[in-house]
Amino acid sequence: MGLYKPTIAGNGLAIALTVIFVLPITAIFAYAVTTPLDSAMVQLGHWLHESREWSFPVLQTQERFAKIGFAIRSIIIAVGISFLYFWLTNWLNQGLARRSSKGSWGKESYIIESIQPWIFVGPALVLLIFFLFIPAFSTLSLSFQEADGTRTIRNYAFLWDPSSLGYEQFRYAMRNSIMWLVLVPTVCISLGLLIAVLADSVRWGIVAKTLIFIPMAISFVGAAVIWRNIFAGGGIEPQQAINGLTPSYQIGLLKALLGHTAAYNEPLYSLKFWGNFFLMWILVWVQTGFAMVIFSAALRGVPEDTIEAAKIDGANPFQMFFRIKLPQIYSTVVVVWTTLVILVLKMFDIPYALSANDDDKLLLATMMENARNNWSVGGDNVENLFAAIAVMLMVTVLPNMIFNARRLRREQKELGH
Amino acid sequence: MTRTFKHVVLALIVFIWVLPFVALVTTSVRSETASKTSGFWTAFTPTELGHRFSTHDKGKTEPFVTMSGNIFERLNQGRDSFEIEGTVNSILFKGRVPDPDKPDKTKLIRQLINAGEPMDVRGGEFVFHPSGDFTWTFPEATAPKPKNLDTFINQNPVFGPDAYIEVLFENKNVPNALISSFIVTIPATIIPITIAAFAAYAFAWMRFPGRDWLFVIVVSLMVVPTQLAFLPVLQGFSGIASWATSLNAWMTDCEATKTCQVASKSFASLWVTHTAFGLPLAIYLLRNYIVGLPKELLESARIDGASHLQIFTRLIIPLSVPALASFSIFQFLWVWNDLIVALYIGPANSADLVFPIRLQKQLGTFKDQLHLLNASAVISIIVPVIVFLSMQRYFIRGLLAGSVKGG
Repeated sequence: MGLYKPTIAGNGLAIALTVIFVLPITAIFAYAVTTPLDSAMVQLGHWLHESREWSFPVLQTQERFAKIGFAIRSIIIAVGISFLYFWLTNWLNQGLARRSSKGSWGKESYIIESIQPWIFVGPALVLLIFFLFIPAFSTLSLSFQEADGTRTIRNYAFLWDPSSLGYEQFRYAMRNSIMWLVLVPTVCISLGLLIAVLADSVRWGIVAKTLIFIPMAISFVGAAVIWRNIFAGGGIEPQQAINGLTPSYQIGLLKALLGHTAAYNEPLYSLKFWGNFFLMWILVWVQTGFAMVIFSAALRGVPEDTIEAAKIDGANPFQMFFRIKLPQIYSTVVVVWTTLVILVLKMFDIPYALSANDDDKLLLATMMENARNNWSVGGDNVENLFAAIAVMLMVTVLPNMIFNARRLRREQKELGH
Repeated sequence: MTRTFKHVVLALIVFIWVLPFVALVTTSVRSETASKTSGFWTAFTPTELGHRFSTHDKGKTEPFVTMSGNIFERLNQGRDSFEIEGTVNSILFKGRVPDPDKPDKTKLIRQLINAGEPMDVRGGEFVFHPSGDFTWTFPEATAPKPKNLDTFINQNPVFGPDAYIEVLFENKNVPNALISSFIVTIPATIIPITIAAFAAYAFAWMRFPGRDWLFVIVVSLMVVPTQLAFLPVLQGFSGIASWATSLNAWMTDCEATKTCQVASKSFASLWVTHTAFGLPLAIYLLRNYIVGLPKELLESARIDGASHLQIFTRLIIPLSVPALASFSIFQFLWVWNDLIVALYIGPANSADLVFPIRLQKQLGTFKDQLHLLNASAVISIIVPVIVFLSMQRYFIRGLLAGSVKGG
């Protein structure tokens, strides 16, 4: 069938070129054509504003409705274009195959069958190549460049040269990462196991599990705001500033429990060194639900007969858990652990949201952000430094990644594919 | 005994987990003053708070011997929410009284006067009761100027939706953030699902050279930290943007209005980036599901002459609804909650910021208005929590399968 290769290549190229030209032009055209929708929405907003007598400025309503109009047509166009792609390519593939096979049915279906898979995986592969694969390598290459493009290892000088930019920060970031790496997964997994076991043995367990699981749905920034009420002091300095007479109380719950007076305003997560642990706790609060759900499912999968056998042998609940159940869900624990490790290594949102970006609370991701914003003093190779730290982040994730890839391969084999 | 112990431990954990939510919601329904001067746990019991009232309106000039009024009435005048109720503990008297040491002079004193004790205000005798009623008696009819008095009130709990009304209707950032978040999230959920479903079908049921190792590469991209891709992706987008800017200048008459500039960080760049970052997990999840569908069904469809596209749209999609649902929830929550991708790739102008970035900024701007900060946080988390609670089962299924995704 090698005979058909030129035809297949030709058809494939024709389809790819058509797509590359037709889709963007259609998108731009669709945007241009649907522009009146925005002004229609503005009119609608105006009418609603007038008829409901909203109190805020009419300009705001118009702005907002214009944005909603833009949103609606963007969503429709973006989704429409991705459907159009599949329809168009399929149509082209069949049409071109029919033309080039000149009536030979076998040839036609062979050509269609050869091109079809690439139509299906094409968009995914193109996106992954341009947004993950090539960028990963070009970041690597950037990290070994000066701003003018000459090769250098100077960007990594923070690894060994005490006088270089970021030397201290990198050490702090590594120290903190190690603390996070040890504590967060350990606490999450222990708590998750404990809750899974407890919840499965009481009647209201399902309610408890749902409540503990809800933080999983919340953004890290939301979680930071939520815990601010517990860890941070008042908003005003000094506390009794309203009319100079309002009696002031400590407004952070944990600070109040620790006996901090109202005038002592520093949030617990800003404390030197110890602040790290409060930031970690927020992540534990979010992620324990994840560990719990997975362990709960795994524990239910433990074969009944092993438990029965242990019961007959007179095992007490602790032995039952540590000797019988835990070894059988060991692989699940490992999966959760690797997931949490990767999450922790890339942790950015919580410290960033709470502006806990002093040196002694840095993590690699926040160090990257600091470098991007504040390191312009280091010349104009900020981007290269940024890339170098990103590569360090990748290096720390790498062992886990390899571990995960091997596990996936094993699973794939077990699935029989 | 162990059973009670279990209940107690679990209840304690649940309490710790739920308490921050109580703090969040409580703070958001309190008044500004209350939320920044006292902890949320004091909101449920009478708490001593300070207020200032004036004895009577300015410009009231009829002379009187005895004036009676009510402190709460005075305080609540012109106030349509968070009305103050409770008992009056004391009044902090600040004023001049005759100096006992120097007979002709007066001196400034600050003195806490309890309910029932008389005090000398502008030459009259001012007495008040815990209920708020006060009388101000002068030896002869006079028309004194109003006097501002600072009072400590054991104030009853009071809640109101004012903070929500303010952030939703008076502050334009929160509605904008809400709309922006939807603009980003909906396409960034639908597009990767469409693309991934096709790819997953191809990886599962079609034959093509390099299929297996391509799949392994795609799946292993799942754990590449997104940070690694930011710089080149951003450079790529600025390249496209400058190209689009010149195209815009060439095609339209934008130069006259100086609107040619096409932003490199936009909603579109966020959609594409989120799509790409979400694809590995989506392909992995969907492919493993589709592979498990009965082979005979697909083969008989092939024999009947159905094309791959027909099989895909008529058979695979309806059968894969659970997998599609679990990935879409996963991706929806992921994109809705994402901060870092939006920060690096997303639109930077204030009106288009997505909710997590807005909330992060509000942690700074609303640090004196905690009721607004908390109300805004409630609004931002209500969408994912509703999605999550209504489709919890699918979400957990996706979580179990996709527990490997790192970024």
